[in-house]
Amino acid sequence: MKLLPKDVYRELADALGEENISQEPAVLDGYAWQPAMNLTNQKWIPRPAAVILPATTEEVQTIVRICNQRQVKFKAHSTGWAAWGGPSQEGELQIDLRRMNRILELDEKNKFAVVEPYVCCGQLQSEAMKKGLTCHIIGAGPNTSALASATSAWGYGGTGLSTGYSGRNVLGVEWVLPDGEVLQLGSPGSHAGWFSGDGPGPGLRGIMRGFSGTQGSLGVFTKCAVKLFPWYGPPQPRVEGILLDVETDVPETEKMFFVVAPSFKKYADISYEIGNAEIAYWFCRSPLNAGVDLFMPRAGDRLFESKPLRALLKAFQHLGVALLSSPSKREVEYQEKVLRKITVEHGCILLDLSKAPGYGFWWWLMGVRSIPTALTFRAGGDFLTSYGSPVEYDNAIRQAEVAQECKQKYIDQGYFKDDMSDIGWGGIYEGTANWGHCETAAMFDRRDGQAEGRFKYLEDSARTTIEHTLGLGLSNLPPGAWKVYGPQLHNYHLWEARIKKAFDPNSVGDEQWYVPSIDEIEPKESSSDEQ
Amino acid sequence: MNDLATLKSDMEGCSRCSHCKWVPMAQIKSWRFAKICPSVDRYNFHAYSGGGKLIASNSILEGRSEVTDPVMEIVYRCQLCGACQVSCQAYRDDIDLADVLLALRAKCVTEGYVLPEHLLMIESMKKEDNTLGLLKADRGVWAKDLDLIDINTQKVEVLFHAGCRYSYDEDLRSSVRNWVRLFRNAGVDLGAAGPEESCCGGRAFEMGYQGEMKNFAEDMIGRIKASGAKLLVTPCSDCYYTFKYLYPKNGMDAGLRVLHAVEYADLLIKQGRLKLGKCASLRVTYHDPCHLGRRGEIYKMGWNGVNKLHRPVRFKQMGNLGIFDPPRNVIRSIPGLDLVEMERIREYSWCCGAGGGVLEAFPDFADWTARDRIEEARAAGAEAIVTACPWCERVFKDAIAAGGDPMKVYDVIDLITMSWGG
Ligand SMILES: Cc1cc2nc3c(=O)[nH]c(=O)nc-3n(C[C@H](O)[C@H](O)[C@@H](O)COP(=O)(O)OP(=O)(O)OC[C@H]3O[C@@H](n4cnc5c(N)ncnc54)[C@H](O)[C@@H]3O)c2cc1C
Ligand code: SF4
Ligand code: SF4
Repeated sequence: MKLLPKDVYRELADALGEENISQEPAVLDGYAWQPAMNLTNQKWIPRPAAVILPATTEEVQTIVRICNQRQVKFKAHSTGWAAWGGPSQEGELQIDLRRMNRILELDEKNKFAVVEPYVCCGQLQSEAMKKGLTCHIIGAGPNTSALASATSAWGYGGTGLSTGYSGRNVLGVEWVLPDGEVLQLGSPGSHAGWFSGDGPGPGLRGIMRGFSGTQGSLGVFTKCAVKLFPWYGPPQPRVEGILLDVETDVPETEKMFFVVAPSFKKYADISYEIGNAEIAYWFCRSPLNAGVDLFMPRAGDRLFESKPLRALLKAFQHLGVALLSSPSKREVEYQEKVLRKITVEHGCILLDLSKAPGYGFWWWLMGVRSIPTALTFRAGGDFLTSYGSPVEYDNAIRQAEVAQECKQKYIDQGYFKDDMSDIGWGGIYEGTANWGHCETAAMFDRRDGQAEGRFKYLEDSARTTIEHTLGLGLSNLPPGAWKVYGPQLHNYHLWEARIKKAFDPNSVGDEQWYVPSIDEIEPKESSSDEQ
Repeated sequence: MNDLATLKSDMEGCSRCSHCKWVPMAQIKSWRFAKICPSVDRYNFHAYSGGGKLIASNSILEGRSEVTDPVMEIVYRCQLCGACQVSCQAYRDDIDLADVLLALRAKCVTEGYVLPEHLLMIESMKKEDNTLGLLKADRGVWAKDLDLIDINTQKVEVLFHAGCRYSYDEDLRSSVRNWVRLFRNAGVDLGAAGPEESCCGGRAFEMGYQGEMKNFAEDMIGRIKASGAKLLVTPCSDCYYTFKYLYPKNGMDAGLRVLHAVEYADLLIKQGRLKLGKCASLRVTYHDPCHLGRRGEIYKMGWNGVNKLHRPVRFKQMGNLGIFDPPRNVIRSIPGLDLVEMERIREYSWCCGAGGGVLEAFPDFADWTARDRIEEARAAGAEAIVTACPWCERVFKDAIAAGGDPMKVYDVIDLITMSWGG
């Protein structure tokens, strides 16, 4: 086990206080257990040499400066849910940002909030609702940090049709660069307040996160302003129960539906129509068989064994959940009319959930708070995700189709739980923008071993997206993927590697989920060019 | 009793989602009161959370790390409040977090990693049959002049078990005596063991001295059987949990119905055997004691499978079947009282801070936890915090006294007594 050199540890402990740093092995292992997205056959990821808990930007700066002076690599995380938040090799310093947990500002008029890293989306949403606002919550759920997906990691969520994508919702960032300097991006960079991510002031959003984020490889984000959106429900809805038993009252101005399409193609078509009509607050593909697996996995096992029931579930395979939300009853009625017209025209079925038992459950859990994803762990104990390129939506849906075929082979071999193969989840985003994503989850029990077969599936999934020219399922790429995919994708990694060098001259930011500095990969680049 | 190694699969199931640090997501109502685990909220390293302790257990089991002084602090700076299990089991069928926490403590104790404050308590339990280091001979003093039927010599229908805290804490004496008067008023003849009453043993079990509980349980069950009682009533939530959950889980059957005093009062009111008067107007909030609420859920026996992924939901200890409504019903039935709810209630309630041996070993942490709750009561607009457990009452009273806080603290029985002009 690699520990920090004693004097480095002392320096850090003196700066932050003994109670905010630890190199106790059992404490460190709390950061080395990251099964989600751990794409190796090791149960544990590398153990950090120490973990440190800063409470302020200045403390983060101090830590990063010491790391530069002493050549110690570091990795910061917010809530730390998945392997990319942990170190990729021993000897690194883990920065756990949980003491930076404040909502610094919630501007009702200009619809934004300034948050620190450890504010989870559930907290932000509950405070925003009190002011008639809500926030974008990624599909992972309200337990994730609002700042993390905005600055560092992806950003898809079921309400993307109306609340966009985390990367787009950034309205200013405070960033401790890998060399310890503090940079404010967007309007706060020119002391103009937190209202715009790209200026007046430096607008380096592309460098900061590109499309999918640098996963903690380019310093530490300490503050971030995120856009908020109108909320038409009550400031604090009555909610009883905690998950599957939730009961609540759905306001008259909200209405939820299942939209069932007869085919992949029709599903894509109707999604475009809904996006173009700008009617829904949430519209997201969620096959019924997936719902069965999440909400009643044991019943699912039995249902999936029965041919007639399987056929019945298959009929609801191309199911999208739509939530209409508006300031008035009249407006929601209008939206419903439009939705009905679109569904009829496309030969789809519309199921009015307001007539179904447990309606409030769907509304609150899924439509408002985006809670169910954590249930994906329920059936097997773990899951991985695949495909999911951010592309025009018919290609996104085509990925679910390709995934279905590819995944079935692995289900047949026992690597994944039988879930009828299609768990293509994802929506069309940003209204008329017509792009979206659809990733395919696969559930399994990590405790049974068999990792190799699952990696093989991930390789196959990436290969098939390229074969079918569907983009690249960025969410299933293991560390170091740039070596394989960079050359196939316009050598994107060389640009990133140059950014890495410019921003992190001492290479102290753990680069595994991003790219190393250009100095380190240039020789590899020339050898791959020669081949 | 679970050996840590038998729970390896539970530990390896942890996805590190951190739900166990938050109230269930559907119930987050504010930034301020969204946290659920006092341990990680106070000490911050992931290892302090329920999931973190799961990982630490796995690490120790695999020999990747050892129990050291800092690890003991992680293990014992935890109220065993069970909130983490509720938040985790909302999503997961295959992780019994509370079992792991108990098994980890048992392992520490077996291997000699113990706290002196806990040892003192265990010594007192062994020597004086109580957790408070006081004389056994004084145990029955609280019931002086109440003329309770002596179950050591006579048969009874209803047995009243006061528990250690109520038996000795003079500050709370009027509460326990008033419970007896209340049931008498409803025409119930109560019996008690007087100085022969002993500790239920639950605290020893929770602190990791699992074997000790067996001695107390055998003693208790023997006395219950000899008394002929059909119903046991206790005003102590800790004891209630021990009878309802720990005994059956460990294969011990007292063979009678067990009710908490507030449940019994609620029942008697519903049967028309108890009438409550009016109180001066007061806005109160009810604090669910962990051991009466989520941890007071009856032990769900009957599933003996191996792979918990296949365990039917009805066998999970999700905490939602604890005792939540009876105390609220009683409070609501007293005109003049205005019951307002805090944000974290029922199975996702915030702990008072006293449990798991924290009050004895880390009083500052118990106090810190209690203050968070008092703050929440204030935010709900309450003038008084009402509870149904002498341990909660103790820690709240001490925190309020230390901080000079105007918040008042009552047991449910105190409100009933006030309604009678007491
Ligand atoms: C089960 C599961 C489901 C998911 N579903 C979705 C989904 O539907 N949509 C989606 O967009 N994403 C999804 N993700 C990925 C998700 O976006 C990220 O894991 C993350 O944003 C979640 O927030 P977090 O607080 O856990 O982030 P963390 O795990 O703390 O961090 C995520 C990454 O960002 C880095 N990071 C975080 N905070 C900082 C900071 N302040 N400074 C520098 N680097 C930082 C970390 O190093 C890490 O690499 C999913 C992940 C999991 C595990
Ligand atoms: S113990 Fe449960 S809730 Fe906590 S991190 Fe692990 S899986 Fe999540
Ligand atoms: S039992 Fe309570 S204090 Fe202990 S880890 Fe769980 S939630 Fe935290």
